[in-house]
Amino acid sequence: MIKKTFKIPDMTCTNCAMKLESLEDDLDGVKEINASYHKLEMAIEFDESKLNDEQIIAAVKKKGYTALAG
Amino acid sequence: MRQKQSKPVDPVVIVMLGVVLVAIAIAMLAFPSDSNSIAIAANSGLMSQLVVAFVTGITTGGLSCLAVQGGLLASSLAHQIEQDYVASASKNKKTKQKSAPKEIQRTNSAFPIFLFLVSKLVTYTLLGALLGWLGSYLTLSPISRAVLMIAIGIFMIGNALRMFNAHPIFRYFSIEPPKFITRYIRRTAKGTDTATPVFLGFLTVFIPCGVTQAMMATALGTGSIAMGAALMFAFTLGTSPVFFIVAYLTTELGARLEKFFMRFVAVAVLILGFVTLDSGLNLIGSPFSLQNLTRTWFPSQAVSAAVTDSGQPVERGEIYLNVENSGYSPAVMTAPANTELTLNLVTNETYSCARDFVIPKLNFYMLLPATGVMQTTIPPQKAGTTLFYTCSMGMYTGQIIFE
Repeated sequence: MIKKTFKIPDMTCTNCAMKLESLEDDLDGVKEINASYHKLEMAIEFDESKLNDEQIIAAVKKKGYTALAG
Repeated sequence: MRQKQSKPVDPVVIVMLGVVLVAIAIAMLAFPSDSNSIAIAANSGLMSQLVVAFVTGITTGGLSCLAVQGGLLASSLAHQIEQDYVASASKNKKTKQKSAPKEIQRTNSAFPIFLFLVSKLVTYTLLGALLGWLGSYLTLSPISRAVLMIAIGIFMIGNALRMFNAHPIFRYFSIEPPKFITRYIRRTAKGTDTATPVFLGFLTVFIPCGVTQAMMATALGTGSIAMGAALMFAFTLGTSPVFFIVAYLTTELGARLEKFFMRFVAVAVLILGFVTLDSGLNLIGSPFSLQNLTRTWFPSQAVSAAVTDSGQPVERGEIYLNVENSGYSPAVMTAPANTELTLNLVTNETYSCARDFVIPKLNFYMLLPATGVMQTTIPPQKAGTTLFYTCSMGMYTGQIIFE
């Protein structure tokens, strides 16, 4: 398991954070996601054997946001 | 070529129209346009607040909910309804792909949405009552109410500036619900077995949108259980038609509308924020409130206080102020300096909040009778002093200039 933080510059409210956290249920290999609207970032703990940065960025894009690897 | 099907009238549309009509009917009952109506004259202060709450709900509040609760809960609800009512062919399939069938028998599908909205309405009304009750503890004096109103005003302005993306610091004006709550709501919304629309409607209370938060703060400021409940009821009722429509739109459309309307919502919150802040400033007797500044910059004819309403000269040391439904008359009056004065507050079938009379500088507060004359003593004031007075909501104001 590794933990990574992505910048999400286009979050507009606290509920955007909630939408991003719902990736916990959508992505295989994710242990936990903590998204913060205040900091405009998303911390994700995941199994790197099942998931990589590109897949996370793509999943975030699908939710309507842009993820930048920090 | 695809064959064109003659679609029966969707029950969703009927219920949607029903919700809109019920909202309009309640609004018309509560706020009759008949100017002779006793109800509106009797409670013009309270009624105008409820009208503002309802209109806020149906415009900015509804749109803000569209951006916040609509995006998550309504879409979750719509998915749930689809899953509940669509033929159970795909029941054993894992719901990873979102390809919902287009031709869905939507019989009775509007009912869960209706339940959801009723639950939301009841919950927020109870929340309003709770906030009003809490507010009654916090607002023991007009000054503490003023402080609260100023704080609410700043909170609203901060939130508006956040929506405008003015500076990253304004993001902290948005309250982030604790993670365990958001996770619980999300999981409940996704579940098809235990989740009910009523429960989902109740849960929205934990993720209020920006405008709802502002309205909750206003309900807190009322300091009354009934008024807090009425305010939140009017507001949530106003949001219902928009929310109902949103529940049937896709999440993508919600996101598009969110960007389009966010600025409009921000402007509305900004204006409401300044109005609330101004009321708070009035209530502490600040000369820097908009009304007081306007009177200072554009002085109109000040009426000498030593004259009654009928133009008759009165006893020395007595001044009269007419407390009317629409405010105070005269709004600006002059009085002799260095003399102890008796202020006669005259009410005549006055039912508006002008009746809750406050002179902040003297720490004087009195709920006047609907009809009658109440007296208070004003200690000698130096020449050039201005004494501001206001109603307890900071809506109606006036001043006495000593010379």
